[in-house]
Amino acid sequence: MSGDVAPQRLTPGQRAGRFAALGALIVGGFFPFVWMILTSLKSEGELQQFPVQYLPSRLDFSNYARVFSEQPFAQFFLNSLTVSLLSTALCIAAAVPAAYALARLNIRRRGVLMTTIVTFSMLPVVSLLVPLFRLMRGANLLNTAPALILPYAALSLPIAILTLVAFFSAIPRDLEAAAMVDGTTRVGALTRVVLPLSTPGVVTAALLVFVNSWNEFLLALSFNTKLSMRTVSVGVTLYQGEFAFPWPLIAAAVVVATVPLVLLIAVFQRRFVAGLTAGGVKA
Amino acid sequence: MTRAPTPLRRRARREPSEGLLALLLLLPAAALLLGVLLLPMLTTFRDSLYLNKLTEPWLQGFVGLSQYGQMLRDARFGAALRNTLVFGVLTVSGSFLVGVPMALAAHMPSRARDLARVALLLPWAMPPVITGLIFAWLFNAQYGVVNDLLVRAGVIQEPLRWLSTPGLSVLAMVITIVWKTSSFVALIVLGGLQGIPRDLTEAAEVDGATRTQSFFRVILPLLAPSLAVAFIFRTISAVQVFDIPYTFIQQAPAQGLLETLGVYIYRTGIEFLDFGYAAALSVALFALSLAVTAVYVRFVRDGGQA
Repeated sequence: MSGDVAPQRLTPGQRAGRFAALGALIVGGFFPFVWMILTSLKSEGELQQFPVQYLPSRLDFSNYARVFSEQPFAQFFLNSLTVSLLSTALCIAAAVPAAYALARLNIRRRGVLMTTIVTFSMLPVVSLLVPLFRLMRGANLLNTAPALILPYAALSLPIAILTLVAFFSAIPRDLEAAAMVDGTTRVGALTRVVLPLSTPGVVTAALLVFVNSWNEFLLALSFNTKLSMRTVSVGVTLYQGEFAFPWPLIAAAVVVATVPLVLLIAVFQRRFVAGLTAGGVKA
Repeated sequence: MTRAPTPLRRRARREPSEGLLALLLLLPAAALLLGVLLLPMLTTFRDSLYLNKLTEPWLQGFVGLSQYGQMLRDARFGAALRNTLVFGVLTVSGSFLVGVPMALAAHMPSRARDLARVALLLPWAMPPVITGLIFAWLFNAQYGVVNDLLVRAGVIQEPLRWLSTPGLSVLAMVITIVWKTSSFVALIVLGGLQGIPRDLTEAAEVDGATRTQSFFRVILPLLAPSLAVAFIFRTISAVQVFDIPYTFIQQAPAQGLLETLGVYIYRTGIEFLDFGYAAALSVALFALSLAVTAVYVRFVRDGGQA
């Protein structure tokens, strides 16, 4: 399986190999998610069969109704949306000016600053868990949205800055120089020249922060323990009883929780892959 | 959005005003990083020197390094560290074995390219807890699809108890983490592949190299920096792994082998409310992450990231 081959020179064998490789990638990537959709449409009785019955005999959407009736899942969803959007906004608002300064201005010890930012991006969240917990408790922020927004914005900030620095650095300096000769200020050059040109970078960084915040589990599990303040990632774990795992119900919750991400990916996949590979990613 | 408070005078006194502007632009980011990440990190160091267990509030006070001594004697810490390292080695190598071919497949020009991209991004973007839940279901002993496929294929006669058999539960978790993290490796490698000019491989083939030769002699060496970056990021996330082991442990009676450092810290701090000891454990994990980070920083500074 070789990477870089012009399509017209393929032998049938190579064509089959390529088909198999792509097929494996697509099936492997989608299967677990598709399996959850199938599971969510089955009834509990239908599930308890072995050999497994692959397709549900009739589509049973009642699990989706139960997702919302057995737990306040709509509230979880709203909480996740609020927390993720606000932490994204906060993070990007702090990252854009910082990245511009790092990419463009004469800063002494720029290298040291960049190294520090990289180091911040590698801090283990779980090491911050207890001190952050106490900090939030001290500030009376437990069970409020800011208890998650602040750490999410801060935790994603290093990777947002690094991504944006990569994008800003790729924009020719002459463009700003020309604008500044024409009489605009540095800040004017940033807002009127650099920012419009780096929209793809800002979108990539924002999506990264959003996905990180939507997916975060540990802090959400520990800081916001009140049911009405739970987020989706914690919410999906709440359907398991003490002894039972109602899998069709859990599967339906999983599907609902993942839909926003699947939509984002489907819409932005081209830009996403280009942006992530250009800016450097962190899992 | 930060705005400079005064209109800057062009040309005149450029240097000092640029320094001030830089400071202003960096300020919001610095405040967030220092206030929400650095400050708690520093308190962790202090906390690790104090006994502070909410369930035994009468035992409080400065104990110096004794909690670090306790850690070295703590068999559960030893096991968690060992589990973390075992998972680290298995999942990092696994994610490369899967991720590199994935990148090559996604890089091929084809009509299914958009679909392949979504398939590549999906595991990366999926919340780790949800990945854990999904795979716990796939590996379910009675109704799991993994057992079903293996039985149908004739590989096994009887369904396996994946989550309650020690060795199998480790394997199941490794497979789960590899599924989740391979796409991260693939994304970085894909970035590397896109940076390689097509002319280079074509030139090699004109010179008579087979595709295999041009892959190993031309492409792979040029991918080395991307592979190194992916390797270091993966190692760091492997050291810190929490969500997937946490979800698995909820459903697996064979817990001991699945408890990672991250899970042990969570339980010590949040479940047993032993803040002091959790802080000492956190410092250990922090030191481990920092060691890997140091390698990365040196690598980047030495120009490995071509």
